[in-house]
Amino acid sequence: MTLLEVDNLKVTYQTDDDPVHAVNDVSFTIDEGVNYGLAGESGSGKSTVAEALLGLLPGNGTVERGTIEFDGKDLTSLSAAERRDVLWEDIAYIPQSAMDSLDPVMSTGDQIAQAIHTHRNVTDTKACERVRELFEIVGLDPNRVDDYPHEFSGGMRQRVTIAMALALEPDLIIADEPTTGLDVIVQDKIIDKILEIQERMDSSLLLITHEIGVIAETCDELSILYGGKVMEQGSVDNVLVNPTNPYTMGLKNSFPEIDEEDEDPVAIPGSPPNLNGEPTSCVFQDRCPFATDECGESHPDPVELPNRNHRSACHRVKESAQMRQAADDPETWDIPDDGDSESDRGEVILETDALEKHYEQSQSLLSKVRGEDPDHVKAVDGISLSVRRSEVLGVAGESGCGKSTLGETMALLEEPTGGELVFDGEPYEYYQDGNQREFRRKMQIIFQDPFDSLNPRQTVRKLVGEPLTIHDYRTDEKEQAIVETLEKVGLTPAEEYLDQYPHELSGGQRQRVAVAKALVLDPDFLICDEPASMLDVSLKVNLLNLLRGLADTEDIGIVYISHDLASLVQVSDRLAVMYLGRVIEEGDVNHIATQPSHPYTASLLSAAPEKDPTADRTRVLLEGEPPDPVDLPSGCAFAPRCPKAQESCWESEPAIDETGDERHQAACYFPEGDDDPTTVDTSATDSDGASSINADSIGD
Amino acid sequence: MTKFQRFLLKRLAISVLLTLVAVSVIFVVLRLLPGSPFEALVTSGNLNQEQITEIRAMYGLDEPMWRQYVNYLTSLLTFQFGYSILRSQPVWAVLEPRLINSLILLVPALVTTAILSSLLGMYAGWNRGSRLEKFSIVSTTLLRSTPVFITAIFFIIVFAYNLELAPALGMRSIRATPDGYIETFASLDFLHHYLLPFAVAVLYYSGDFLLLARNGVVEKRGSEFLKLHRAKGLTEMEQLARAGRNSMLPILTYFTLRLGMIFQGLILLEVVFSWPGIGRELVLAIQQQDYPLVQAAVFIMALAVILANLAADVLYAYFDPTVSASGGGSA
Repeated sequence: MTLLEVDNLKVTYQTDDDPVHAVNDVSFTIDEGVNYGLAGESGSGKSTVAEALLGLLPGNGTVERGTIEFDGKDLTSLSAAERRDVLWEDIAYIPQSAMDSLDPVMSTGDQIAQAIHTHRNVTDTKACERVRELFEIVGLDPNRVDDYPHEFSGGMRQRVTIAMALALEPDLIIADEPTTGLDVIVQDKIIDKILEIQERMDSSLLLITHEIGVIAETCDELSILYGGKVMEQGSVDNVLVNPTNPYTMGLKNSFPEIDEEDEDPVAIPGSPPNLNGEPTSCVFQDRCPFATDECGESHPDPVELPNRNHRSACHRVKESAQMRQAADDPETWDIPDDGDSESDRGEVILETDALEKHYEQSQSLLSKVRGEDPDHVKAVDGISLSVRRSEVLGVAGESGCGKSTLGETMALLEEPTGGELVFDGEPYEYYQDGNQREFRRKMQIIFQDPFDSLNPRQTVRKLVGEPLTIHDYRTDEKEQAIVETLEKVGLTPAEEYLDQYPHELSGGQRQRVAVAKALVLDPDFLICDEPASMLDVSLKVNLLNLLRGLADTEDIGIVYISHDLASLVQVSDRLAVMYLGRVIEEGDVNHIATQPSHPYTASLLSAAPEKDPTADRTRVLLEGEPPDPVDLPSGCAFAPRCPKAQESCWESEPAIDETGDERHQAACYFPEGDDDPTTVDTSATDSDGASSINADSIGD
Repeated sequence: MTKFQRFLLKRLAISVLLTLVAVSVIFVVLRLLPGSPFEALVTSGNLNQEQITEIRAMYGLDEPMWRQYVNYLTSLLTFQFGYSILRSQPVWAVLEPRLINSLILLVPALVTTAILSSLLGMYAGWNRGSRLEKFSIVSTTLLRSTPVFITAIFFIIVFAYNLELAPALGMRSIRATPDGYIETFASLDFLHHYLLPFAVAVLYYSGDFLLLARNGVVEKRGSEFLKLHRAKGLTEMEQLARAGRNSMLPILTYFTLRLGMIFQGLILLEVVFSWPGIGRELVLAIQQQDYPLVQAAVFIMALAVILANLAADVLYAYFDPTVSASGGGSA
């Protein structure tokens, strides 16, 4: 039976200039008990659809036409009060950013109870009981209902919002990017939890995400949105395995996957369409390699493909088989195929030896007087790495493992508290001792957020030229240097961008400007701290390819820090996996990806979702959270969460060269793939069902 | 010891230290002023040198500076404020009624305006761009930027002289001879005199609270947690209440700060309405270099501000759960 039917929905936003046509004639239906996915890049209108469903559009957004029929009622024609009754009682919502979506000055239990009280006339004790029950369902400690949001970690906060969504057992749960901003491991657990609960409650789920992999694993049907239009919809198995729309093909190809390290992911060139007018041509026309004259005339209506639940909006849908084949070839998308020429790696440019960065914790006056040693947070705890020219070293790990601190310490933005750092043949003390400027020229760092790291009041010319002025480098040919660098990072023709301000650029272009800013000084070394985490898939792939190319052609060494293993595998030559300030596995990237030695690496790898819906993946759900970095357990730091931990793991800590050779080493006594009977995969299957749920509820 | 207790202890220690500093500054500044309380008497030729020495010895002014300082500290901290030089009365007997007069006027005014203007400000911020918002901002800013004596005089002209609704001056009618506070304040005559200065004070303070509340709500309006509250089906007013609750901190800070400053009175207002408050008394005392009186008055004012800040810190912990957890200043 149909639960929700969206028919020709159109939403516009009023702005000072032209109205933005965010959602254009979107139609889809969700049946009872079905998981439905809405996929698309940012600006595709997927969140707007959710907001329209919930009546949460901001003040300048209006539903121009179309109907949203829920359980036989048209939601768009309800009064505000009637609508409030439907909200949460029938349609609940899991918001995007778990970090800020809970009221900071209200205890989490009260917030859930508030939802109950708003719709049901129940006593306080009843509501309280229900809250405790919900906490238990989502795997939180029921005794923590009186805690405030800031006392929970990101993943646990998301569990609170899930508990809230379940409070009244709604028929439909809308989850808007429920896992964005969470680590892979936490993401995997949250998805698992949503699915498990949803199965029990037998409600429908509308999952909105840009991660095709998440949809492939969780949903039965999906719609792919682009420029406010449905490009392709139908059952997940059909759409993702045999896409018939060029956009779906491009989107699918641009997802880097861990086990395909030989193929470069193929990105869709160009940027999302301008939505300031009603679309008159196919919205994807500008970026589509298969566009014909017909495509310029009208946006195609969805074509029903016979005998399978599958519709595609493309004029050339009949030729989809040929297109699909052509789409796998980068040349179709006008991307020069520079081949995977393994460039020769040069001499070592940066080397650290037992590098340490400990933060002292503040102590009370009393213990200071007593002369007690203060506690330390060991953010970076004895890391020995080396990077050669033309080499990309990937650093992976969960948030809080110290990978960003490592980057900052390598860039001497943080003073090392111990160990050695040798850059370009000189120890770091040499640079601190009056040669700071030389160091800052040779070593550049690219930060996570391209929105914050560019001065909004400077033009691109000024932004990119500024380092030149500061370092008095190529000042007589400044303009030329700027243009050269902009072209190097793919902003061509450079002249067009020179006088633009950051807000006039798209996210991908901004990140390119940030890269250009770093490259303009011809550095020898580049540290990239999650540079792609804010970017859409197709832009992310562009950036990865750009960095890879730079390492090969410019002879610079690159450290690429990220929690996204799939993109790390794409870009790096060697990989170092960090856990609580230590490198626990290091070596050749392909080797690690195919045969991880350390159980932690194995679980990281297995947590990444698979974009192919037919593939089956064994989930390895890690127990608990990383321990408190102040009070580390003795022995292997991973032992408390390790499925294979044995007595000896608790006794002493394994060194990085415990197993393996120069090419691939890991700090583990019982590495994967050894003759150990309990490999991670089997242990995960063993503990499936009841025991894994229990294990899961111990911590986050 | 819990984190909160430690935090509280730290704040208390800081407050004590601040009080000591304030008290010392008062002492030094007053000694640095040219002249002495007896100068006027000397220049008029009413006193000869021996009498001056005698009086100075009586007040302890012939002792070395550090002794005076120690004496001063010990008596201040035991709340013995000494005798007013000019009024020949114990200082506390002079200050107390005036302080009470100021407080009875300003505390209710401040509380009233803090509640009303904040609520209005929150509502205005929620309905951003509405006529109410524009009007309330313009009018309160106007009231805030006009010197209070202008507003007061304007009110006197309109309500006292033209409409003859309220008396223009004083706290009680001239003929009244009340005895004790209760008789003074619990009378219709007092209420009659009270209305105008009360109204002016309320309006004078309203702008700050209104703008603070409005800005807080405007800032919170687009936030994710309000979206979730909305999705939960809360009504507009319930959502506004949450937004308001989340923007309480700046209002609270400002309220306690103002509450501390009320102990200084509102000098201009007291002068215009001839309200026998502490502000007027202080000005007179400074003019006449009545050391004990000034010292005591400034001490009380400083103490009030410090205590109000302490109260703000404690209230923070109550209103913002994140404060008490990280209050120790550790990372």
